[in-house]
Amino acid sequence: MLGKLMKYEFRATGQTMLPLLLFLLVSAVGVNLSARIVDHSDSNAAQFVAGILMFLFVMAILVLSVMSIFLMAQRFYKNFLTDEGYLMFTLPVSVHGLLWSKIFVSAIWFVAVGLADVLAAFIATFKVSAVVNIAGNIKDMFSYITTEYALNGAAFVAEGIIIVFLACAGMCLLFYAAMAVGFSFPRHKWLLSVVFFFVFQLVLQIFGLGGMFTWVQSVGPASTASVFAQVHTSMLVVIAAEAAFCAIFYVITALMLKKKLNLE
Amino acid sequence: MPIFECRNLTKNYGGVQALSNVNLTVESGRIVGLLGPNGSGKTTMIKLANGLLTPTSGQVLIDGIAPGIETKKLVSYLPERTYIPLWMDLGQLLDFFADFYGDFRRDAAMEMISHLGIDMKQKVKEMSKGTREKVQLIMVMSRAARLYMLDEPIGGVDPATRDYIIGTIIGNYDPQAAVIISTHLIADVENVLDDVIFINKGEIVLQSSVDDIRQKYGKSVDALFREEFRCWEN
Amino acid sequence: MEWQLDANAPIYSQLIESLELAIVAGQFSPGERLPSVRDMALEAGVNPNTMQRALQELERNGLVFSQRTAGRFVTEERRLIDEAKKALAGKNIRSFLDSMSRLGYGKEEIIALIRSDTGEAMANANI
Repeated sequence: MLGKLMKYEFRATGQTMLPLLLFLLVSAVGVNLSARIVDHSDSNAAQFVAGILMFLFVMAILVLSVMSIFLMAQRFYKNFLTDEGYLMFTLPVSVHGLLWSKIFVSAIWFVAVGLADVLAAFIATFKVSAVVNIAGNIKDMFSYITTEYALNGAAFVAEGIIIVFLACAGMCLLFYAAMAVGFSFPRHKWLLSVVFFFVFQLVLQIFGLGGMFTWVQSVGPASTASVFAQVHTSMLVVIAAEAAFCAIFYVITALMLKKKLNLE
Repeated sequence: MPIFECRNLTKNYGGVQALSNVNLTVESGRIVGLLGPNGSGKTTMIKLANGLLTPTSGQVLIDGIAPGIETKKLVSYLPERTYIPLWMDLGQLLDFFADFYGDFRRDAAMEMISHLGIDMKQKVKEMSKGTREKVQLIMVMSRAARLYMLDEPIGGVDPATRDYIIGTIIGNYDPQAAVIISTHLIADVENVLDDVIFINKGEIVLQSSVDDIRQKYGKSVDALFREEFRCWEN
Repeated sequence: MEWQLDANAPIYSQLIESLELAIVAGQFSPGERLPSVRDMALEAGVNPNTMQRALQELERNGLVFSQRTAGRFVTEERRLIDEAKKALAGKNIRSFLDSMSRLGYGKEEIIALIRSDTGEAMANANI
């Protein structure tokens, strides 16, 4: 069931996201080509065109980031809180399946946008300037880490992936919980959703900062543990904190959808 | 085991008692009209049956079970609104229903669609309101469900569409299944109903067969309803 | 087949009447196979359960019989059809006489009216 739900979620979102991703990569190629032309000529026209293409490229990055977040929130709203909710909530699937399908698909798009940004940056700067060595440097860094500290390197990557996923899920759930609560009220649904969004954000920030303070103080300046052990523990603490927040917002969202669904 | 049952069902929300101690049963093989004015609690009862609302007290049971994943496999629900995603085309919509409902009869749906001459590639957002309503009805009636719940299926449609809808309900008749039609337009569906349930202000006022009413009162259910309703309004 | 359904009388009895009339009037020949319950219900715009019960009543009084898989058929016993025809005729006559007597006509006047009116009235009624 989860797979099927995700399939349709991808179909619904792909129509928007794929053209934008394509546009990003194409504009990256445009930047690269125009930059080379500018390198080899003094023409003002060439510089002007290169400027425009660079502007488009930057816009593409911005639009993609904003759109992926906007789309994530919009899908939740449209599919669960409007008339489509009559279809989704009468399917023989659990609320959990419905929620996770949205979280996974949104997270995958966030990561895809991130990777596309990196790829686009490489394309745009490929053999154009001194930035050309970045790829090589990153590769060296990875091989150094993994050969010297093989287990740790892999563990860092795994922890990094989990942290990224939880961050994506957390962002989704922040929006979802705010909307699920806001729409459970009979009136002023949008206003209340925005209010709850800021309230949840505030709570998150307070606990996040407070948690960081206590953590830093408890670690102490001169720790005897190795650098890697400290980094590991920090990452695990971050994972635990993210997981806790995700769990809280997940429970809020699921409860609201199960008990307080208020389709018109 | 009645396919649909309400036991002392009460639902309050928004400060209003939408349903008040409702008791009723519907057996398989019956086509039942849930009749009442707007705001009488019909839609609330249907939403409760589909798990879209939870009771304040009492129970609603589908084949003896409370609403959940298992009952959703048995119930085919046609809401009053356009609930199919606008971005899908007809082919994708068929895939969707086939994917999630084991009792979806794709061939039956295809037959009705080709009968109406709708293009498979047409997107829902491009369809006229009448076509959308017919498509939704086709999707709902193409499931081999145990309980069909149709909320105002003929409200606001032209006579040809209305006849099509009633014809679909008759033609789809299955003695293993029950059909509950909720409406305030009684005259149009009266001949199709076995039994009627009158509901007003959240309470059941009358439950009887159509012919018993005609026999006893010497008038159509529609005529009786209009008379009663005038009394209820006071 | 023509289905005339009055909204103020039970559907069940009206279906029986319509079916009897159709058989007696020859719309269905003796031994002819009747359409399925579903098709007739669709045509009449009524609940298949009610149509089924009406057909079962016709089976009970012998005008119709069913063969398990083959469907329902009009009886081949013309005697039964004739009896039903006579019964319906009797009902019509009684109803006619009742209306006429309420208009104030007596027996001799009624017979005289029929005799004199016969040509035109019968032509109009396709007799």
